[in-house]
Amino acid sequence: MLRYAWQFMKYDKAKSVGIIIGIVISIFLIGQQTGIFIFLTNAMKALVTNSRADLWVVDSKTINANALGKLDIRKLREIESVEGVAHVYPVVVAGGSARFDDGTTAGVQLIGSDAPSFRIGLDPKKIIGGNLERMLEDGAVSADYFDRASLGQAGLGTNFEINGKNAFIAVQTSGVRGFGGIFMFTTIEKARYFGNIPNTDISAVLVDVLPGADPSAVRDRINRTIFGVRAWTSKDFAGSTVGFLLTNSGIGFSIGSLIVFALIAGFFIIGLTMYSAALDRIRDYGTLKGIGATNGYIIRLILLQAFLFSLAGFAVGYLFIDLFRQGVGKAGTVFTYSPLMIAGFFFVTLFISLGGAAFAIRRIVSLEPASVFRG
Amino acid sequence: MYRTDAWDEVDGIGAFRPFLSTCYNNPCEPLRTAMPVIAEVIQASKEFISGDTVIVALKPSSMELSMGKVTLIIGPSGSGKTTLLSLIGCVIYPTSGEVIIDGIRTSGLSARKMAGIRLNKIGFIFQQFNLLAPLTAEQNVMLPLTLQGIPDAEAKGRVRKVLEQVNMSHRAKSLPKMMSGGEQQRIAIARALVTDAPVMLCDEPTASLDTQSAHIVMEELKNQAACGKAVAIVTHDMRLKPYADEIVYVENGQISKTEINEPI
Ligand SMILES: Nc1ncnc2c1ncn2[C@@H]1O[C@H](COP(=O)(O)OP(=O)(O)OP(=O)(O)O)[C@@H](O)[C@H]1O
Ligand SMILES: [Mg+2]
Repeated sequence: MLRYAWQFMKYDKAKSVGIIIGIVISIFLIGQQTGIFIFLTNAMKALVTNSRADLWVVDSKTINANALGKLDIRKLREIESVEGVAHVYPVVVAGGSARFDDGTTAGVQLIGSDAPSFRIGLDPKKIIGGNLERMLEDGAVSADYFDRASLGQAGLGTNFEINGKNAFIAVQTSGVRGFGGIFMFTTIEKARYFGNIPNTDISAVLVDVLPGADPSAVRDRINRTIFGVRAWTSKDFAGSTVGFLLTNSGIGFSIGSLIVFALIAGFFIIGLTMYSAALDRIRDYGTLKGIGATNGYIIRLILLQAFLFSLAGFAVGYLFIDLFRQGVGKAGTVFTYSPLMIAGFFFVTLFISLGGAAFAIRRIVSLEPASVFRG
Repeated sequence: MYRTDAWDEVDGIGAFRPFLSTCYNNPCEPLRTAMPVIAEVIQASKEFISGDTVIVALKPSSMELSMGKVTLIIGPSGSGKTTLLSLIGCVIYPTSGEVIIDGIRTSGLSARKMAGIRLNKIGFIFQQFNLLAPLTAEQNVMLPLTLQGIPDAEAKGRVRKVLEQVNMSHRAKSLPKMMSGGEQQRIAIARALVTDAPVMLCDEPTASLDTQSAHIVMEELKNQAACGKAVAIVTHDMRLKPYADEIVYVENGQISKTEINEPI
């Protein structure tokens, strides 16, 4: 049957190419939108995912990591004394205006945590230049390689000003970027200094639980015993942040509707082209029925063609998706598709082409075997 | 005997002699004695309903096909010939009466079972040849065997044999569009032969062919009957009469008479 399916596809080259192009276009659009979606959601939760802690404790009204409220520094000790907490790490986030020698200005988000552990942002795995030890020097901050265009091409060692105070880039990271603001990581003291944040205020507390302790149990205990704060597992806080921004920015809706549109368009383009290809071959399918093929056989023959189309369409479509990923990756829109997601693309391809085949199948199944005797 | 030299004089057919086949499976020992009935139409009628009019395509009619015979079904256009053939071919159910193929009553059979009868008991030949355009000659001939689930290796051997039989081995790899009408019909005959079905049903098998090709095709069909198959041929063409053992005349949706013909 594989041979016959292949011959049928080969015979109607133009339509077959049309079907494959339909599949490629819709799977590429879906892959591209999904990629952008992954990138944006990663950026939305970047502050959380670039921290290394079991729990985040923030102001009780905060549900978005990019807009942290204010906590009193005394909460730090209260949290530390809760059963199951091993360590607490204060975080200070402050806004600032960066000004470069060439006149470029940019709004930046200063994120300070305690040296030398730097539980937020300065993950050695993502550092591509500079030295964490220099972070202790006056004015030392980090900057991301991909933000250099917004920062007047600032690189390692560039001197500039934040809120009128001298700063320099001591560490360069790669792919640690936020949603909207430009991240600059530093020590907690320098974040206070640049942002004029009083010593009594902090923005969040990162918590490590004791080995063997259940993070969600510790979270619940903090929430029960300490007034005015809310503890989250890092995963939940990231999820809440993304959920909040997606619903409030319309990004979720716009990307979601584009994906649905690509699906529907693909489904109908593929379905109608397959239908029209089947109509071109209606005499052959009628003959098949006439000489004794069952509906089951013919359905399998059509589905097999649809399957082969989806293999070809997926192969080409995925190639384009990956070229797109590499292309935008060079411009700093860095993301990866998980194997599960790639499998998902394949299943979507299968779904649209097998689903599209339904139009053709309906038509062929309704064909009378007696049609063979009518010209 | 069928294979007279009479053909050598008609249309210079002698040139096509090598094509004429021997019997498939049992190298030709023409079977002219016992002639069991393989297909029966017993008081079968067929009505088609279109909108609120009922079209009577065939009034209750009876006929039978015997193995070893060529039965010609002749009649004017619209008289019900194809309907009769479709009933025997198990592509439609009778409105009343019975159709029995090789002992199997078709009324009440599922579409799937009907397909099974068509596949296993009947070889079809059509006016327009009905070869599957995307498939090569060889693949077209192999198709019924594939449908029967016969393993490729065995099927290939059988395909090779029938292609030789209709003298078309040299076109095995050709697509139908690359072949003449006569060649296509020979491939179609090979496809009808390959399952060794006892019944061959042909609807106007020569109408799209020139005289020479028509002769070759008729000779082949006659030869198949000689090998024991029941061959039914629907036609307008009175010139085919000489090939028939039996002629069934259809007029106005009815079998008007059946006559025994003396073969040439
Ligand atoms: N599926 C159908 N629906 C409605 N009417 C039909 C159908 N099939 C056949 N008929 C009608 O039944 C009658 C007999 O048709 P049939 O095809 O058997 O004639 P025929 O003798 O084969 O004619 P021809 O020589 O032109 O092929 C015709 O009037 C035809 O219009
Ligand atoms: Mg007819």
